[in-house]
Amino acid sequence: MTERALRLASGTLAAAGAAIMAYLLAVRLTGATIACSNGGCESVQHSAYSEILGVPAAALGLAGFVALLAAACMRGARASWAQAMLALTALLFSGYLLVVQIAVIGAICQWCVAADGLTTAIAALSLLRFRAATRQSTTPASSPIRNARPSPGQGGIRARARRT
Amino acid sequence: MKTRACPPASSVVRGRFAVPWDEPKWVFGAVLATATTVAAVLAAVSILGARSSGTAGSATSSPPAHAATIFDGIPQHGAALGSPTAPVTLVEYADLQCPYCAQWARSALPVVTAMYVRTGKVRIVFKGLAFIGPDSEQALRTVNAAGLQDHLWDLVEGLYLRQGAENSGWVTDDLVRDVAGGVANLDARALLEARGAAGVDDAIRAAYTAAQTAGVRSTPAFEIGRTGGALEVVSVHSLGAAGITPAIEDALAR
Repeated sequence: MTERALRLASGTLAAAGAAIMAYLLAVRLTGATIACSNGGCESVQHSAYSEILGVPAAALGLAGFVALLAAACMRGARASWAQAMLALTALLFSGYLLVVQIAVIGAICQWCVAADGLTTAIAALSLLRFRAATRQSTTPASSPIRNARPSPGQGGIRARARRT
Repeated sequence: MKTRACPPASSVVRGRFAVPWDEPKWVFGAVLATATTVAAVLAAVSILGARSSGTAGSATSSPPAHAATIFDGIPQHGAALGSPTAPVTLVEYADLQCPYCAQWARSALPVVTAMYVRTGKVRIVFKGLAFIGPDSEQALRTVNAAGLQDHLWDLVEGLYLRQGAENSGWVTDDLVRDVAGGVANLDARALLEARGAAGVDDAIRAAYTAAQTAGVRSTPAFEIGRTGGALEVVSVHSLGAAGITPAIEDALAR
């Protein structure tokens, strides 16, 4: 995949994740009924773990996905590093929240699991972009390897060889 | 004759104007370390926040005076608080482990009780649900057992004020004895023994069925209406008293 394709794919997934988080945040703020088939979403949404320092976890998730989307929209090695860092942070924290859902709350929020899936995919794409961008940055256009030209002596040998 | 190996590409690049970030492993290490640190800090804050929000009091501390006083002199009959002839009935669906239910009990309930219940305008009926986990079930059985002695609301308030971390086993017999000990005319031993009584099972089943009928999907949830008449679901946009008083005033005005 090209870097452009990686950015496009990760940006699309980040937009989807932001939409999920925006929905969860809207439900939280308006007190509306959450669409959920197993009843676990309510338990998780009303758990003490649904807030961090008074900030709804959905708001943090929304900020994270928007930041990932912004990083995906930007070109360059530093944007790829930022995207990789954000994606790995999101992956680790979403793993923690998944463990909390299973082991502490005893309920699974389907929307959260969907967001976890998107986070995992974005992390994979971000690492691929990171690898591509970092490799590129280590062999810039001014590299003596890329711009190597045969020395006059070498060229002369080949020229002589062709003549003989 | 000495042989000299070619320098690696990265060291060739690292010249006068190159930045130290040009080393892939170095950069990846920094990215991974930063991500791990940030995620660990977020998780630690989350755990500490969850524990502090769930421990308004400890199992060994004495019940706050607040729990023993806000219902003083108000009649309790089973799950109902207030005069049976009050013109309006407010039904609360709650899980005793739900932190928002505890927040409502701390911020809105004292105001609603003082303004409407104590004055005989409103009676509140508690319909407990247990969807968060095992401690919800234990707490629910405890308050319904207290309801058999017409002290349900005293236990509801006492448990909310000393709500522990979710499913940590905080609803212990010692805690129940401690909370019950602060309530006048409540037999703590009979309460503990009645947690498995048929009357408690019936109350739990009835509340669950009512919640299903009302379409309750989260807690706290409320229904309101004229006493003896049809109830309608109340949309509460705030856990303070201001979130419920308009609906009460509306019901009283009908």
